[in-house]
Amino acid sequence: MHSKSIIHNTLIFIPIFLIGLGLIMIYSSSSIFAAQKFHDSAYFLKKQLLFGVCGIICMFLMMRIPYPFLKKLAYPFWLLNIGLLTVVLIPGIGTKVGGAVRWFRLGPLSFQPAELAKLAVIVVLSYSLSKKEHGGIKHFSIGILPHLIFVVPVFLLIVAQPDFGTAMMLITLLFIMLFVAGTPKKFLSALAGIASASAALLILCRGYRVERLSSFLNPWENATGTGFQIVQSFLAFGAGGFFGTGLGKGTQKLFYLPEPHTDFILSVIGEELGFLGVLLVIAIFLIFVICGIKISIHAHDLFGTYLALGIVFLTGLQTVMNMAVVMGLLPTKGTPLPFVSYGGTSLLINMMGVGILLSISSQCDYKTRR
Amino acid sequence: MVKLRSRTELKKNIRLICFSFIVLFSIIAVRAYFLGVLRYGELSKRIQNQHKCKIALTPNRGTIYDRNHMELAVSIEVESLFARPHLMKDINDAAKKISSVLETPRSQILKKLNCKKKFVWIERKLNPSRAEKIKSFNIAGLGFVQESQRFYPNKELAGQVLGFAGMDSHGLEGLELEYDSVLKGRTRVMVVERDALGRHLFTEGLKTEDHSEGHDIILTIDKNIQYLAEKELQAAVSISRAKGGTAVVMDPWTGEILAMAIVPLFNPNQFLKSKPEIWRNRAVTDLFEPGSTFKSFLIASALEEKLIKSKDIFFCENGSYRVANRIIHDVHPFGWLSVKKILMHSSNIGASKISRQLGMELFYKYIRKFGFGSETQIQFPSEATGFVPLPYHCSEHTKSAIAFGQGISVTALQLATAYSAIANGGLLMQPSFVKKVLDSSGMVVQENASSFRSRVVSEKTMRAVKDMLKSVVREDGTGEKASVAGFTVAGKTGTSQKTEKRISGYSRKKIIASFAGFVPADRPRLTILVIIDEPEKMAFGGEIAAPVFSRIAQFALNYLHVPPDAPPEKLHSGWKETKIIFPENGQRG
Repeated sequence: MHSKSIIHNTLIFIPIFLIGLGLIMIYSSSSIFAAQKFHDSAYFLKKQLLFGVCGIICMFLMMRIPYPFLKKLAYPFWLLNIGLLTVVLIPGIGTKVGGAVRWFRLGPLSFQPAELAKLAVIVVLSYSLSKKEHGGIKHFSIGILPHLIFVVPVFLLIVAQPDFGTAMMLITLLFIMLFVAGTPKKFLSALAGIASASAALLILCRGYRVERLSSFLNPWENATGTGFQIVQSFLAFGAGGFFGTGLGKGTQKLFYLPEPHTDFILSVIGEELGFLGVLLVIAIFLIFVICGIKISIHAHDLFGTYLALGIVFLTGLQTVMNMAVVMGLLPTKGTPLPFVSYGGTSLLINMMGVGILLSISSQCDYKTRR
Repeated sequence: MVKLRSRTELKKNIRLICFSFIVLFSIIAVRAYFLGVLRYGELSKRIQNQHKCKIALTPNRGTIYDRNHMELAVSIEVESLFARPHLMKDINDAAKKISSVLETPRSQILKKLNCKKKFVWIERKLNPSRAEKIKSFNIAGLGFVQESQRFYPNKELAGQVLGFAGMDSHGLEGLELEYDSVLKGRTRVMVVERDALGRHLFTEGLKTEDHSEGHDIILTIDKNIQYLAEKELQAAVSISRAKGGTAVVMDPWTGEILAMAIVPLFNPNQFLKSKPEIWRNRAVTDLFEPGSTFKSFLIASALEEKLIKSKDIFFCENGSYRVANRIIHDVHPFGWLSVKKILMHSSNIGASKISRQLGMELFYKYIRKFGFGSETQIQFPSEATGFVPLPYHCSEHTKSAIAFGQGISVTALQLATAYSAIANGGLLMQPSFVKKVLDSSGMVVQENASSFRSRVVSEKTMRAVKDMLKSVVREDGTGEKASVAGFTVAGKTGTSQKTEKRISGYSRKKIIASFAGFVPADRPRLTILVIIDEPEKMAFGGEIAAPVFSRIAQFALNYLHVPPDAPPEKLHSGWKETKIIFPENGQRG
């Protein structure tokens, strides 16, 4: 019981800590921008505080709901998301920002259906996979096809927005879930082949993606053009050094870094809190992932295992992608840093995910080792 | 059994996922270390360059005053229009409005606005009414910068002496160029941080500790004498249809230049409107053959060496004298002439005979002592040295030609300085344009005390030469028209032929008429040199240059309250005969 309570408490503590860190860094990095644009330097801080509180409430709510209940919701929830993703594409309903239709706008709040869809896909895949314990996974028609049917429509609807990053994340999720479930290697390699071919196709058919890719490979060559963002991010890390310039003392957030309070918040942490701050954040996320994996391994049933794995994998993947992007290890891609970056939908969904993890954890049996 | 095995495999796979996350996070940590710690120095240097920007603060350029603190060159604040095209909403509309005010084609303004730069000048130094009009449009992305513009309130007055300063307040010609660093002051550099929008955040203070505003300069020039000299010279140039003229007024005791007039006049406010050759201060930069005015130095040298006496007489060959295989002419034929009369009637033959007596080596020594063939060291750009042939390079003919001032070239400034040496009894003074340099609070930073460079000949010799020069301006001398009512004048006329490239010899038509002298003769206050370049009418120094000397002297002596030194009866006769009616509506403009 001891290790169970450690994991449980750690999982409650980490998101709250990260939200707190996020609030500080959001205020530090956005106050000047907010003061200029909204005449309120705490504009983003206040909103994120509201989301944070909602997120924590969501987390505790989900924790109270026994997760097997989600099995019943799996299909309706999935259908609902297909509906939402379709509706957001209808002109006039979805809000267009920067050429992509990703948001529903409800007064001052906005909602991103793709975020919710990730959760829906995890639930439906977990449910479906948990039913195929007895070797069904080895057959294409039972083990592969249904899961493709769950994922591909969502994938296509998200690509249509277009939100290439989230779509690729879903494909990766499917791939990993199938791999864990024990799908034969031939199917997996075929799936990987098709996925990479379609990814290449999507990259080539959109000029800006090629441009992003080339500026990723050679950011310094075009430091004032397409490589500007990533070069500014490098500079932020470089300016921070080991200990950082001190909280609030960074200068890269002054319109050099693009959206310093959302996707590039780690760069601001790197500048103001230095390498130590970044290392701390990395370590906390790693602990989070390990806790999640532990829950997955020790889950009471297969549904819990898959569900926990899906949630922790997706959160971990987002984290790694965000960090890799701001450090120039991956091409620029709009992925927020979970819990830390400014953004309502993403925070709520992630907190719901943590709530589900906690719910699974409460049913765990840690004594049976292997 | 199947169930258990698949469960074990499942857990193994999940652990594999966990392991790959550990690897991925480690890679990211290493990358963070690489960026933040290993490349710290290089990246933080880059960031500083990006964030810091230097602003040069150019201090106001100092004022140039005349010797009585009258402004000759001042700096006024005007506004320059710039655009930041990336902040502009409607470039076409803005271009339309701007072009309507500036009267420049719209396409030209559009071209400037469409460039990719974040800052472009639209128009530098606008006149204030245009600037107001453009401000009233209230176009976003346009801005004004205060700049200082050089302004010469007296227009042409001393134009070539002052020179001018260009668009960025850099001296480009004349004293503006020579004293540029003094007038300009030290530019201060302010380092400010800026954000990505180019807005300045906070200053780190000024970088140069010993900053200074531009210094003011007080010249030796007297605005009134300068004005009169220019007016009289201009009148004489136009009446004689000459190409140009030069007049120098100097204080013989200090070497201070009181006036330096160059015709055609030049307005530095609009320097681009006149040809570059007009910009030159030809009294300092251009050479000419002095002609008979040079005879004074020959006689001074010979007297100093005691090779002749004032009362010696020379046979002037009745106006035609063969030296080597050339014939020297006098304007009027003379028989026997005393040294004094040789100077008075300006006999070339007499002069060449004296020079034979003196010998070229000695004469050369004195020519150099009088300051010819070397710079006067006046602080002015591109001063000419002049040309004095070495004795052993001279043919017999050249030797005798130098005696009457041909075959040698000098600047007007050298000649005026040398005449000042005769006036003050033998001291070669250091000529100067600048009296004082004042800092912005009016404290004297530098003061030019008058200094003499060397003693050329003894006072006694100079007294004898001065006596002879006085006779030149008497009734039957060549310089009669230089006389000034109430004052005794000492001086010498000069009429030299110009060399012409086309015929590689001396031109019969192109001459330089000049008069050099000082007044009052016994206690000189002014040395005045007047040179008329290529007059078509009245082409003799005594005819055209001497009256200009007289008029400048008349005015300046009155203006300086110099008491008359001549008996009153002379006052009347002297003035009547020199009267020339100049057109009063002068050509200035």
